[in-house]
Amino acid sequence: MTSQDVSHRAKVTLPKTAYGLIAILVLLVVASVTTPGFARVDNIFVVIRAASLTGIVAIGMSYITISGNLFALSASALGALLAVLFALLTAALGFAAGLFLTLGIAVLCGLAQSVAISLIGNPIITTLAFGTVFRGLAALFSGNSILRIESEAALWLGTARPLGIPTQSWAFIIAAILSWFIIRHFKIGREIVLCGANPKAAVASGLRVGLVTAIACAALSIGVAVMAIMTVSQFSQAKADLFMGYDFDYIAAVLVGGIALRGGKGTPLQAALGAVLIALLQNFMLLHGLSAGVRMTIVGLLVIASISLFHILQGRGR
Amino acid sequence: MLRMSGIVKSYGPTRVLEDVDLAVEAGEVMALMGENGAGKSTLVKILAGIEPADGGTISIDGAAVSIRSPGHAQAAGIGYVAQELSIVESLSVAENVFLGDETLGFFRSAASLARRARPYLERVGLDHIDPLSLAEEHSVAERQLVEIARLLSRKARIAILDEPTAALSETEIVRVKAAVRTLAAEGCAIIYVTHRMPEVFDLTQKVTVLRNGKSFPAVETAGLSIGDLIEAMLGRQLGQMFPPRAAHAGEEILRLDACRASGLKAPVSLSLRKGEILALAGQVGSGAGAVLRMLAGVTPIQSGSVTLEGGAYAPSGIAGSIARKVLYCSDDRKRDGIFAVRSVPENLSAPALSAVSRFGLLSPALEGEHVTRIARQFGLGERFLGRLAGNLSGGNQQKVALGKWIGLDPKILLVEEPTRGVDVGARSEIYSHLRKLADEGLSIIFASSDTQEVLGLADRIASFFHGELVRICDADDVTAESLTRDVTRASEAA
Repeated sequence: MTSQDVSHRAKVTLPKTAYGLIAILVLLVVASVTTPGFARVDNIFVVIRAASLTGIVAIGMSYITISGNLFALSASALGALLAVLFALLTAALGFAAGLFLTLGIAVLCGLAQSVAISLIGNPIITTLAFGTVFRGLAALFSGNSILRIESEAALWLGTARPLGIPTQSWAFIIAAILSWFIIRHFKIGREIVLCGANPKAAVASGLRVGLVTAIACAALSIGVAVMAIMTVSQFSQAKADLFMGYDFDYIAAVLVGGIALRGGKGTPLQAALGAVLIALLQNFMLLHGLSAGVRMTIVGLLVIASISLFHILQGRGR
Repeated sequence: MLRMSGIVKSYGPTRVLEDVDLAVEAGEVMALMGENGAGKSTLVKILAGIEPADGGTISIDGAAVSIRSPGHAQAAGIGYVAQELSIVESLSVAENVFLGDETLGFFRSAASLARRARPYLERVGLDHIDPLSLAEEHSVAERQLVEIARLLSRKARIAILDEPTAALSETEIVRVKAAVRTLAAEGCAIIYVTHRMPEVFDLTQKVTVLRNGKSFPAVETAGLSIGDLIEAMLGRQLGQMFPPRAAHAGEEILRLDACRASGLKAPVSLSLRKGEILALAGQVGSGAGAVLRMLAGVTPIQSGSVTLEGGAYAPSGIAGSIARKVLYCSDDRKRDGIFAVRSVPENLSAPALSAVSRFGLLSPALEGEHVTRIARQFGLGERFLGRLAGNLSGGNQQKVALGKWIGLDPKILLVEEPTRGVDVGARSEIYSHLRKLADEGLSIIFASSDTQEVLGLADRIASFFHGELVRICDADDVTAESLTRDVTRASEAA
């Protein structure tokens, strides 16, 4: 070999997920020591449940980011539309039909967005517009009133605790593991990663970029549908302004988890850890009686700090 | 007027310029010539303040100057027109003429700007265009002329033109040449980088040749023969760098009949045999790359027909050519050849994901086997397999970009500039790998602007100039000189 490669230095590299885990552990220890009531069992459940639904959507969002499509800004609005539709369908056709039809509609909404993204080429603008459409349809279908459902099965789905763990958290854990497996071990998962890493090279290598965008959008929509169905089931009601303003929470979890903004790097597991970290921090601040404004500021600063940190780490690694 | 002496520059461990001297007088047009990679662009970038020199001195009118940024260069009266034009398409022609000129102040009416721009536009032969029209409405040649008008407006005393005619047609070249003469007549010293012989003999008074980062003393163009010039440019002996040619080629596998595509000005007909390496020789914009892009399905076949193994071949898009096992490697591996942020194995298996999966699941065993096979065939050592592709050297990146296709058992491999940005050692490795693949039955077409590479690697050579096929010859019947004549249209200069 005559070719000289730079960066021969051996270096210790931690997997990206490790940073998230370390941050969570540090926060746990600090909070348990300094905050009375933090380590209590019922508080832990509150944290887990709070992290779960946001986390499920963040996992879906991570498909979009990893595939190189930045973010979708339509998730919260789609959640409201699906919640309204789930309530209407369950009231009319029963729980099982409502469940499966809602999931089907979610996938269709995802596919419609992916077609538009492929045509327009800008996921941010496209999903922003779709979000407005979804929110508008939610208001239209709900007639701007609160829709109530009565279903034993739905109530179980929303409030049961198999093995002492809330159903939301089961869904969260399953989604995290399944998504990690899909990205790491499925052929389509590798295609998602490669398309995100370099879309032009992906096209030149004959990979199916359009299909990848469609799968990513569908994955997010399914995550949103799970959140919507579980929320409606828990409270037995739906309305058009559900999840209003939550979009940043999903994106924050992806970013705090350290998934590269430009795509092609990271796993959904990191988004899940990001969601847990933010939920812990929120809870910790709440127990210390910090006002909503302060909490919001701190979470925003955390996002800025973690993007900068990962950017610096990445710069050093290359 | 301008004197550069002892200029030294390295990129990492690679010396690109060693002890280069260059001198230009006022009103003189100096051709700067040399093969690709000889260091021409680096030298002019140093003068334009875009790259810092590692050593050497620059003096203007006998006074030493230090050029550390494009601002310094501009203050010293040096104007630079790069290969990639710096015209802002959404601004008017007049605004482009005065782009970056801070002496004008902020509040200039469009009309007064147009009035001030007009004399400069007239001097470069653009008197017929409206200074207030948008730059994007004009042809590449006209934008080129706008850049020269900008040099005039800045009263540049030294002008660098880096291949100003590479993308232009013959009639457009005439206009650029006229503008360059105007510039020289005003007392400007001009450094004119080009690959085209006719322009050298038509336009310049002196020639400085760079070869492998070293300069030769400038010579008068008038007393120079084309042969001397070509010999000065090529000169090197690298015969041992190339593997022996094929003993015999197989039956015909691909045939082009009167094909046209974007980038070609005349229909192209040629054929390719099994196990043969065919070179398409030509400079940027010659049409050599256009033929490859057409065969790869990147640009459509506008007319004519292509026959692959006796059947019609008209790929719709890249996926279409991949399906027929005609595989294409572009000249810009960073853009579309590799996945820089992913590991080498993931790069190598990217086009063959179906082959390394079972029931939609990636099989680590199959993928490992696939990757090891390619790595062995392309001489990629074990230690590179854990790296990100973006962290490899240019040579190893090129092996990844080429090697990823080998796993698909291609019939025809189309390679554009197979060793651009690759060091000499890795070059000869890549040549021998390509030759070995051809001996095993793969047919290869490569486009290259590197004369030695074309002569050393190819079995047959098709030379291109300005969108037209000049001739096709057996490599044995071609010499460096005859090839250089073909791809620079030396016949027109004589």
